[in-house]
Amino acid sequence: MIKINSKNVDVYYGKKQALFNINLDIEENQVTALIGPSGCGKSTFLRCLNRMNDVIDICRVKGQIIINDFDINDKSCDVVRLREKIGMVFQKPNPFPKTIYENISYGPTIHGMAQSKNEMDEIVETSLKKAALWEEVKDRLHEPGTGLSGGQQQRLCIARAISVKPEVILMDEPCSALDPIATAQIEELIDELKKDHTIIIVTHSMAQAARVSQNTGFFHLGELIEHGSTDKIFKNPENKKTQDYITGRFG
Amino acid sequence: MFTFIVLLGFTSYYFGRRKAYTIQSTNKRLTALPQFYGYYLAIWCAIPAFIIFSLWAIFEPTIVKLLILSDYSNQGYLDDELNLIYEKTKALSRGQFTGEITPFIEASAEKYLSLRSIAQSSKAVIVLSIIIASVAYAYKKISSNSKTREPVEKFLKAVLFTASLAAILTTVGIVFSLIFQTIDFFKVIPLFDFVFGTHWYPAKAFVRDSSEALDPTMYSDTFGAVPIFAGTFFIAFIAMCVAIPIGLMSGIYLAEYASVKVRQYAKPLIEILAGIPTVVYGFFAALTVGPFLKEIGNSMGLDVSAESALAAGGVMGIMIIPFISSLSDDVITSVPQSLRDGSYAMGATKSETIKKVIFPAALPGIVGSILLGVSRAIGETMIVVMASGLAANLTINPLESTSTITAQIVVILIGDQAFGDPKTQAAFALGMSLFLVTLCLNIVALRVVKKYREKYE
Repeated sequence: MIKINSKNVDVYYGKKQALFNINLDIEENQVTALIGPSGCGKSTFLRCLNRMNDVIDICRVKGQIIINDFDINDKSCDVVRLREKIGMVFQKPNPFPKTIYENISYGPTIHGMAQSKNEMDEIVETSLKKAALWEEVKDRLHEPGTGLSGGQQQRLCIARAISVKPEVILMDEPCSALDPIATAQIEELIDELKKDHTIIIVTHSMAQAARVSQNTGFFHLGELIEHGSTDKIFKNPENKKTQDYITGRFG
Repeated sequence: MFTFIVLLGFTSYYFGRRKAYTIQSTNKRLTALPQFYGYYLAIWCAIPAFIIFSLWAIFEPTIVKLLILSDYSNQGYLDDELNLIYEKTKALSRGQFTGEITPFIEASAEKYLSLRSIAQSSKAVIVLSIIIASVAYAYKKISSNSKTREPVEKFLKAVLFTASLAAILTTVGIVFSLIFQTIDFFKVIPLFDFVFGTHWYPAKAFVRDSSEALDPTMYSDTFGAVPIFAGTFFIAFIAMCVAIPIGLMSGIYLAEYASVKVRQYAKPLIEILAGIPTVVYGFFAALTVGPFLKEIGNSMGLDVSAESALAAGGVMGIMIIPFISSLSDDVITSVPQSLRDGSYAMGATKSETIKKVIFPAALPGIVGSILLGVSRAIGETMIVVMASGLAANLTINPLESTSTITAQIVVILIGDQAFGDPKTQAAFALGMSLFLVTLCLNIVALRVVKKYREKYE
């Protein structure tokens, strides 16, 4: 089933066009990987999906991105509700300089999701368990989140993202700042999470894309060159550029 | 003489560099850039000369004085009288003496003039020969493989070190001058009376005739510092009530909401406030705000004095706004963008993000800026002198006039004063306590700011 449907998406930074006419469908409860060389626009596209590009003054987005039959670029779209539905994990772990507990409870608090302290405790516990962090931090929930290791911080950020029960989770190179062991843990986690969430992951590592994703899109110079099932893209790409990139001839 | 040495320094720079070029042109590799040879020679030319020059300036008058007064030794004069004779001699030699001229003094004056001229010419000769000797030595030393870079670098390091040493020594010197006078003051006035006394009335100390013996009991109930400490903190409190909210809010606006263009113009405009001399704020407070408050108060049936703590504190607050807004703007801007992104991505609005993520993250820095503002407020003098009066009332009514530590120091030290008098020494005691208070605040502020640096990384 199609979760997100983007039609003719163009993005401009000032006068420079960063994305050209992107048409990409994202399957529900699957992992979609976006690959491509640096500066190809894959992160920009990811940030279109929860309108994070609004934060950048000079950025303009054109075209339609339809999620649940609703165009998120429409004026009537409430960004706060949208971002509640579409969570995001960033390249560098960015826990708030607060306690672990407060990091998780942040989202549920601003969206008024818990009526009592008990409910909040439960949300915090389930989110941390889903992010496979509970066992490591259950005894120090009230210590600062910035005191955790890099991999733990990133899992904390994932727990923070899933605390508001988003339908979609966007991941912008979530493992680029982590060591191989932490990366393996996150990849395992992504596999777990796709049961409940639709996941879109931007990655520089082709091996990672092959390991975690069911679908892959290849971007080059702001254009979507090819997309389809990961198997097909990696084993039997239609486009020459995709072939070259995957075999490591450029990029 | 001074300009002459400087000129010679420049010339020797030129010669040093030229010699380096000559060496270079014979296809030898230099150990340093030619400029270093120039600097090397210039330093050798100017520094020994300057040292001799300044030593001379320090010791010449003493030696001349000794020589003159040696004529008067063994005649039973007291030190004071000898000093007087020397001053008379000097005045006569300049032709400014108007008293009775005795032959003795006339002879001394002539001797003084001849000594001075000998000193002048010998100074010129000595300095010049030193310059020639040192430049010749250094010039000979310059060769293709002589070390010039290291001495020049060492010299620069020494200059920088002296500069920072000067600042530190000045601070130490000021503290010591405060300490000794303060100790003298507390010998007369008990510390307890000063710290806990509630009556500040230094004018009473004017009454004393300086020929009378010092009687500590007559100063009881004169130097109780409680009212002026209270006044200081009260006015600072009023100032911070104005400055913290306005400064913080404008800082947040500048950092988070203002567009690049608005910020570009608004920030310098706010910082202009910091460049206004405090005297201008003072008469603004005294001539505009004070009477205005009085009028408003009167129309509401309140008794407002034209010189009120409110006027002084309010205007002082305006003066401090740019410190707080500019510093907190910097602090808020330096909160990493990734934290903002994280919060926005959770669906937080701008104000929620500021309130729950950015403000707590920036809080230590903001507290630091506020503490710096407080020490400004406590140290501020002119506004208080002009707008809040000089009567040290012990009051918490902002509509009455009060006085502060700094204003009282001004009152005490304006006009005639005698050293060794408790009234004058009271100013030192006040200065010392003010110094301690602001020092503590600054230390706390620095600590907080330091803690902040360790915050996210």
